[in-house]
Amino acid sequence: MQPHEYMEDREMLKMIEESVADSAPAGSSALAARGITKAFPGVLANDRIDFDVVPGEVHALLGENGSGKTTLCKILTGLYRPDAGLVLVDGQPVHFRSPAEAYAAGIFMVHQHFSLVGPLTVAENVVLGWTREGGFRFNRADVEDQVAAVAERLEMHVDPRAQISRLSVGERQRVEILKALYRGARTLILDEPTTVLTPQEADQLFISLRRMADAGESVVFISHKLDEVSALCDRVTVLRQGRTSGSADLREERVDARGLARLMVGRDIHFERRSRLAAAGEGAAVLEMSGVSAVDEDGSRVLTDIELSIGAGEILGLAGVAGNGQLALAEVITGVRPSASGDIALDGEPIPSGDVRAAVDRGIAYVPEDRMGTGLAPGLSVADNIALKAFRRPEYGRGPFLSRPRIEERTNVLITEFDVKGTVDTLARQLSGGNAQRVVLAREISSQPRLLVVATPTRGLDVSAMETIRGLLIDAADAGVAILLISEDLGEILDLADRVAVICAGRIQGVLDAEEADVEEIGLLMMGGSVERAEGTADAVD
Amino acid sequence: MQWIEFRLEKRLEPPRWLGPSMPFIAVSAALFLGAVILLVSGRNPVVIYQRMFQAAFTNPGALSATLTAATPLLLTGLAAAVAFRMRVWNIGADGQLMIAAVLAAGVGIALGERSIAISLPAMLVAGVIGGVAWALIPALLRAYLRTSEVLTTLMLNYVAPLILFYLIIDSTSYWRDLESPSARVFPQGKTLAESDFWPEYGEGISVPFGLVVGVVLAVLLAVLLRSTRLGFQMKVAADSEAAGHYAGIRTVRLLILVMVISGALAGVAGASQVGDFSHRIEPKALQFATYGYTGIAVAALARYNPLGVVLSAFLVGGMTNAGFAIQGVDLPLGLIGLIQGLILLLVAASEVSSRYRFVFGRRARPEPHGTEPLREIDEQTAAGTGQEAAP
Amino acid sequence: MNETLLVTLLAAGVLYGTPLVLAGIGELFAERSGVMNLGVEAMMLMGAATAFWTSQSFDGPGWIALTVSLAVAAATGTALAAIYAFTVVTLRASQIVAGLALLILGGATGLSSYIASIGDLARDTGKHRLPDYDPFGLADLPVVGPLLFDQNILVYGSWALVVIASLYLYRTRPGLHLRAVGEDPKSADAMGVNVVAYRYAHTMFGGAMAGMAGAYYTLAIAPNWVDNITAGAGWIAIALVITSFWRPGLLLVGAYLFGIVTSLGFTLQTRGVDLPSQIFSAMPYLLTIVAVVLVSSGWGRGRLHPPGALGDPYSREDA
Repeated sequence: MQPHEYMEDREMLKMIEESVADSAPAGSSALAARGITKAFPGVLANDRIDFDVVPGEVHALLGENGSGKTTLCKILTGLYRPDAGLVLVDGQPVHFRSPAEAYAAGIFMVHQHFSLVGPLTVAENVVLGWTREGGFRFNRADVEDQVAAVAERLEMHVDPRAQISRLSVGERQRVEILKALYRGARTLILDEPTTVLTPQEADQLFISLRRMADAGESVVFISHKLDEVSALCDRVTVLRQGRTSGSADLREERVDARGLARLMVGRDIHFERRSRLAAAGEGAAVLEMSGVSAVDEDGSRVLTDIELSIGAGEILGLAGVAGNGQLALAEVITGVRPSASGDIALDGEPIPSGDVRAAVDRGIAYVPEDRMGTGLAPGLSVADNIALKAFRRPEYGRGPFLSRPRIEERTNVLITEFDVKGTVDTLARQLSGGNAQRVVLAREISSQPRLLVVATPTRGLDVSAMETIRGLLIDAADAGVAILLISEDLGEILDLADRVAVICAGRIQGVLDAEEADVEEIGLLMMGGSVERAEGTADAVD
Repeated sequence: MQWIEFRLEKRLEPPRWLGPSMPFIAVSAALFLGAVILLVSGRNPVVIYQRMFQAAFTNPGALSATLTAATPLLLTGLAAAVAFRMRVWNIGADGQLMIAAVLAAGVGIALGERSIAISLPAMLVAGVIGGVAWALIPALLRAYLRTSEVLTTLMLNYVAPLILFYLIIDSTSYWRDLESPSARVFPQGKTLAESDFWPEYGEGISVPFGLVVGVVLAVLLAVLLRSTRLGFQMKVAADSEAAGHYAGIRTVRLLILVMVISGALAGVAGASQVGDFSHRIEPKALQFATYGYTGIAVAALARYNPLGVVLSAFLVGGMTNAGFAIQGVDLPLGLIGLIQGLILLLVAASEVSSRYRFVFGRRARPEPHGTEPLREIDEQTAAGTGQEAAP
Repeated sequence: MNETLLVTLLAAGVLYGTPLVLAGIGELFAERSGVMNLGVEAMMLMGAATAFWTSQSFDGPGWIALTVSLAVAAATGTALAAIYAFTVVTLRASQIVAGLALLILGGATGLSSYIASIGDLARDTGKHRLPDYDPFGLADLPVVGPLLFDQNILVYGSWALVVIASLYLYRTRPGLHLRAVGEDPKSADAMGVNVVAYRYAHTMFGGAMAGMAGAYYTLAIAPNWVDNITAGAGWIAIALVITSFWRPGLLLVGAYLFGIVTSLGFTLQTRGVDLPSQIFSAMPYLLTIVAVVLVSSGWGRGRLHPPGALGDPYSREDA
């Protein structure tokens, strides 16, 4: 886009904005947006969006990734300034220049990445940075009492004296909400808050949000999950491709979920489900784990008695709330972390514990959750990152010397094959998320593994990159690779996996057939619920 | 940062000219700041710099003296370069050099009037062993007990000279000269037999043997880092320890190896001090010289590139030599250290320019890097996993 | 061990430990904000040199000369720390390399010796020395009298500093913000704490304290100048911050222990113990290594961890 064209657009949009603002006064709204437009070069992230929240309601902002939800919220909370359009609080136009100014107007956002300081206590975090009251002195007991009072009002169970780093993700989220309310939030924006929660924790959250709304405060609930929206929200605004594509009052009309879905994605279908293996798990087992346990650095146990097997061409999904031993399991299988006890065998042969090289040589590939930093060395080139594991192979040099031309030759082949936008010399940290993940997958899949361990492979990617990555995984499975798919996104697991193993507190709670699995049951297992309910299917593993 | 008029803006690709020109900018700026300090304290910087330049490069014998001063700096500079580029903070080259000097001198004295073909390699090996031994203490503590090497190498720098003082002044050790008349006046180390003195090369300008060793080692080190599998592993582990661990690189072993190489280089410097120059242990001179610390400035100035260290050692060696040569006449003590410190500070500060550009004023320019990265950055903060849960 | 030996040792602990307390608390504040300043030694030397120069060239009553000298020392340390903060906070340079640069720049072979040489500081012994005060007239009490009630102003000041530092860290909002900035600057920033300002302020406070600690050498311990008069005390102060788990009270205890060890050789030799003096001289350094090893390897782990963001530059865009 040429700069002057861009300017003309802006002027035109300003005119539109003015007409929109005139035509639709937002009198009773706690927070409203009128004709919000925000362009990034080449992308119109928000295109004349209208949106309003009245006091006492829970309002859903529904949309796919890339639909402009996040940009809109960043504008509402002062992180971005709109190119055109108005934000109104209680009917008055406001021009936030920073989140602090939005706070002052009572608008708070709970991001997916919490702003909590781990070693400090709940009460300390709640008052952190809050200088409007309390003065110079920090009176711990007073603050703790105040925090406890707010928590009680919302039926949130949090000990104000607890250290953040010892809390679960769900508890931390409650602290974030408490923090906002302590500071006098009247409108609370939550960005996909249930992604990190078990279904049961999500229910708890809904109770608290309902309480807030009943007390006259407003909640904006960003989501792409239709069932949550219909369970919790009073009204819904749907965004698609940067525009308001529809809205509905859920209290008055019985809105069809399919209708909302169509508004949201603009088409009826979602990602294709994978056609299942005819007899999942009955092929020859590639990976077999029995009685595997592991401890972390402090010596506390992170995996207990893991029994798992994955057959050739099978995708086994590992579901669980983040931080329940998924990382340890991936690391133990790939040799990054030694196991404390138990056996891991690949194709019937035991693999040594804590030996990455042996695992790599035997054909275990690993796409780690931490893409930039573990999966890729950020300051090195694409070619170096392609050679990250293969540099030891004889074909990449002679004796102690490494042949740069051969590595680059190989890299160029993979760049083409995996459609990476970058050159051999591009530094990894210059790659976009999707391209970085393609480089990791190119390296791992091209090593012709027997087993591929992938952790949250599509996190943070846009829809098209996500589709590519999923396609690559399915192709690998079809080529006979056994795949362990670790994900916090149950939908992704149910779409891709043949079987689902559920992990909680370092134990496998059960293994279910993905076709027959029921979300409620998986949710129960994710919370460490009773194994008996899932026993019938768990037997199938043994 | 509202009160500062400029901001730093992240840049993905630094311009190519920037890296190589940074050291020259840093040196010029340091000399300029040094001139300001000279002016403030009532000295004429033009005259002093002129005399420094003459003393370093153009006076009779100046170049030889500069090469002499550059020799230990080249070796300690390499020691710092190999460690620092791996983010192993070996600040202990000073102590490692001293212990190496003790072992090299001991071997040299013991070999007496044997042929140089025997004594020189023997002293080199002894020096390497001494340097490595003194470096291994912090290396093992870091590798197995996770003790930061910054403090341990530093504390050992304070311990090493005490050992030297004990050997030469407070005891009647093997290293102490108890016979010569001058040694009766003030304690001094035993001098090597002349046949053990290391050779010098060249006519008019004398090139110490240690300097030749240093240049050869610099080339070897450059090859090691650039084109070997070991060098590749060091590069990966330096960039991201987690990525190295993930790739099956034994980072702990690599860390120890780097400390060993670094200590060995400092050890060669120590052996060269005895073999090339002092021919005996001189505790006061070694303590005063602070070759280890200056080596860090030398390495930083070369941006931790071994071949660059050869150049920067020559430059800093010239400065050090000039400091010795005209000190007292009208060059106040400490000026050389001051300028070297400024150089290091400016080099450290200039690193920022490779990752950020300076932007004056308040608002950021619109993102110039096309649409793709920005779009995805935005998605990352949105971070949903993009997909409805099964109904 | 008889009483006089005990008193001698404890008095020596206070004498040699006080500069460690001052510089250590200063560094503790800087590190709590996430900035590790390895240039403490240089700031101390500069403080020592400028304070001594001021006290030597000042004409007037002793107490004014000393007050001005201390102020000059603090200002010098603050200025150096400001340069350092600009380099590592604003320009985000490596804290280790920049700290070493500060060390070479201001240290024993740098600016401090330059100042000493143009000011010819080594020529004369000092005109002024910090006097001891006995505010309650209790100096004659056995044991505790000379220890607690017969000290100079910097010793009393260091005690107050420890108490104030503890209260500041745990009982005030700025202290809470300081801890948050050192642990997790990103979250602190998101909550509206000015990370850059906190880092500058506490690094510069650390510089002021290091400057005063340096002045203690030339105005209290021995009023004269020799190059490198602090002899590595700055490094021991940094080590003390680690071994005290970033807690002011423990730092005081540790500093006095080191003070005692420093003086041990001298004390024992005057009592006829015959060992090479180098063994005693090496003790503080070896003890530091042992202490740092113990802290990093074993019981230091768990809750007593260093500030989470110690040594990391912070930038909003990177986070």
